[in-house]
Amino acid sequence: MCARNSIYTNPKPFKHLADYKLRHGFNTYDSIRNCLKTTPNGRTRVAKHTTKIPRCSFCDRYQGRLYFCLMCSSLWCPSHILLHTQSEKGHEVAIDMDRSELYCCLCCDQVYDPDFDKVVVCNQVKDLPGGSKSKTNSFEASGERSSKRKRLDSGIGLDLKKSELLVSMRDRRAKSCYPLGLRGLNNLGSTCFMNSVLQALLHAPPLRNYFLNDRHNSVQCRKRSGEKLCLLCDIDAISSAMFCGDRTPYTPAHFLYRMDHALLMHSSNLASYEEQDAHEFFISVLDGIHEKESKIRNSGKDDGDCQCIAHRAFSGLLRSDVTCISCGFTSTTYDPCVDISLNMDTSNLSSSNANKPIKPDEKTSVSTLSGCLNLFTRAERLGSDQKLHCQNCQELRDSSKQLSIRRLPLVLCLHIKRVEHSLVRKISRKINQYMQFPFSLDMTPYLSSSIVRSKFGNRIFTFEYDNSNSSAAYEIFAVIAHSGMLESGHYVTYLRLKNQWYKCDDAWISEVDEGIVRASQCYMLFYVQKLLYNKANEDSSFVRISPRRDPFESTAGCS
Amino acid sequence: MSRPPPPPPPPPPTTNKDQQRQNPSLQEINIKLIQSGEKERLKELLRERLLECGWIDEMKALCRAFTRKKGRNNVTVDDLVHVISPKGRASIPDSVKAKLLQRIRAFLASTAD
Repeated sequence: MCARNSIYTNPKPFKHLADYKLRHGFNTYDSIRNCLKTTPNGRTRVAKHTTKIPRCSFCDRYQGRLYFCLMCSSLWCPSHILLHTQSEKGHEVAIDMDRSELYCCLCCDQVYDPDFDKVVVCNQVKDLPGGSKSKTNSFEASGERSSKRKRLDSGIGLDLKKSELLVSMRDRRAKSCYPLGLRGLNNLGSTCFMNSVLQALLHAPPLRNYFLNDRHNSVQCRKRSGEKLCLLCDIDAISSAMFCGDRTPYTPAHFLYRMDHALLMHSSNLASYEEQDAHEFFISVLDGIHEKESKIRNSGKDDGDCQCIAHRAFSGLLRSDVTCISCGFTSTTYDPCVDISLNMDTSNLSSSNANKPIKPDEKTSVSTLSGCLNLFTRAERLGSDQKLHCQNCQELRDSSKQLSIRRLPLVLCLHIKRVEHSLVRKISRKINQYMQFPFSLDMTPYLSSSIVRSKFGNRIFTFEYDNSNSSAAYEIFAVIAHSGMLESGHYVTYLRLKNQWYKCDDAWISEVDEGIVRASQCYMLFYVQKLLYNKANEDSSFVRISPRRDPFESTAGCS
Repeated sequence: MSRPPPPPPPPPPTTNKDQQRQNPSLQEINIKLIQSGEKERLKELLRERLLECGWIDEMKALCRAFTRKKGRNNVTVDDLVHVISPKGRASIPDSVKAKLLQRIRAFLASTAD
C-alpha cells in the first residue's frame, strides 16, 4: 500500500502571480479583506453583494463556480472569465467566491499564495466567536511545553553501544542463528495474550534499551523496598532472559503471577473476553510500570509530563476540538494518551450505492489503516441527544467534534477495535474483516497542525507550530495478530528485526516472509519513529551466522 | 458579441381549480433558496453527508489517480472537475438525494405565499 503523499509541498508561485504582486502589492488583498465573510462552519466566502444574487457579467449565470476579479470586482463564470482577461489588461487574478481560493486566468488554473492565505486565515480567525481566544488556541507557539521536556535521546540512552557490550559479554555458547533477543515464551494456559504483548514491549526500542542499559537495577530496587521485587524487576528479568542468548523457551513466571494478581484486583466486573484481551493487558502493564516508577520517584505527575519509561516511550497528546454548529465557537482540550484505539473503516459507500458499481481498482472495499486514521480524525457531528453547552450562544447546541494528534509519541501503538458490542442483543461480536496496513507510516495528515490547517480551506499558509515532518515518519516493528473467535482465539506477535520478520507464537519462533505479516489479521500495530528504528537496526553487532532458513520452519531453540 | 436572451418569464397562473397557487419555476425556487440563505445551509448538509458516506474520499482517490497518470504539472482544477463530475453525480447515494429533496420541499412549504 503506497503511503499517502501528505507533505505539503508548496507549489511554486506562478510567474503571473509574482508579476501581479510586484505591480499591485497587497492593495487588492487588503480590499478583499472587507468582502470576506466567514460562515459558522469555518468557510470563508467572498460576499460583497448582500442584496443581489451574484451573477456572471456575461451570461447572468448564478449557479456553479463564480470568480471575482481582484482588480475590478466584476464577476465571471468559468466559461467567460477569459473574455474578461482578454478585454482588460492586468485583470489576471480572480478569487473563487465560494472557496476563497485564487485563480489565475492566464494559467487557467488555481494558484496559491501564502500572503493571500494569511489574509484569509487571519480574517477567519478574527471572525470566529471568541476571536482572540481562539487565535491563541490555533496558533499556539510550540514552546509551551515541549521546551520543558528533556530531549529523550539523552535521557534514555538510546544508543546501543553500551548494551552491546553488556550483551556480547554474556553467554556466547548459543549459536545465534537468529538475532539476539528472540526467544519463545511458554504458554501456561491461555496466556498467549500476555506473551504476545511481552514480545512487542520488550522489542520496542526505548524499552529494550532501557532494560539492556540496566536502567532499572534490581539489586538497588530490592534494597529500597526490602527484598521485594517489583514489576519492573520482573520485566528486567525477562529482558535479560530474552537477550542472554539461550534459545530454549522461557517461562516468565514471576511476571505472570504479578500481572495476574494485578488484573484480578482491577477487573472485578470485566467480561471473560476482556480479561484475556491483549490490549487491556498492554494498558495494565503500562499502568503498572507507571505506578511503580512514580512510587520510586515520589512524584504524582500526570501522564503528560511523566518521565517513567512507559510514558516516555508511549505517551502522546491528543487534541479535541468541539465546535458549535450554530455559531462556530470552538473549544479545544488536550488529553494525554498511550495508544490510539481505532474503529474500523468498513466502507459504506459501495453498499449504499444503488446506481453504478465502483470499479474494483479503486479499492473502496478494503479496510486500510489510513482509512481508520481518517475516520479517527474526521469531524463528527454529535447526535442531537448529545447537545453541548456553547459558551458563545449560552445554550445547548448541536456540535461537531474532531480529534487530532498534537504530539506524537516515540512508540506509536495503534489498537484496532475488532469487537462489536450489540446493545440490542447484548452480545459481543468479533470483526474479522481484513485490514491493510503499511510498514512505513507517515502520521503528518493526522497531526493537529494538518487538521487545524484544513479547517481554513485549501491553504498553504504555515502555522506557527508546524513541526518539521521528520518526526512524523514511523516504521513498524511489531504486529500482534489475532485469529479465531472472540472467546477461543489465539494471539501471535510478528517482530521485525533488521528487515526480517519473525513470528513469535508462544514458544515457537520462526522466520516468516513479509507477505505473511501483511496478510495477518492485525489487532495491535506498533510503530516507532523512523530515526529510532534506523538507529536500532544499524549499529548492533548481531550478525546472523546461519544462512536464511525456510520460512515456516519452527525452531524452539537452535541446534 | 450580443448577450444571450434572458431566461423566460415564469408561466402564467393555471386556471385549474385544484391548483390554488402556481408552481414556482426552477429559477424562482433557486432564487428563493439563495436569498434566504437556505442554499448555503443545504450545501453544508450535503457536504456533511457526502463526507460521512465516503463519497469525498472516493472523489479524492479519483483525482489522485488522474493526476498521477497525467503528471502533477499537467493538470488543472477544471480538468479534474470535468473528469470526476460524471462519476461523481452517478455515485451519490440515494439516501443523500432523498434527504436533500425532503429539506427543499420542507423549505418551499414553509415559504409558500
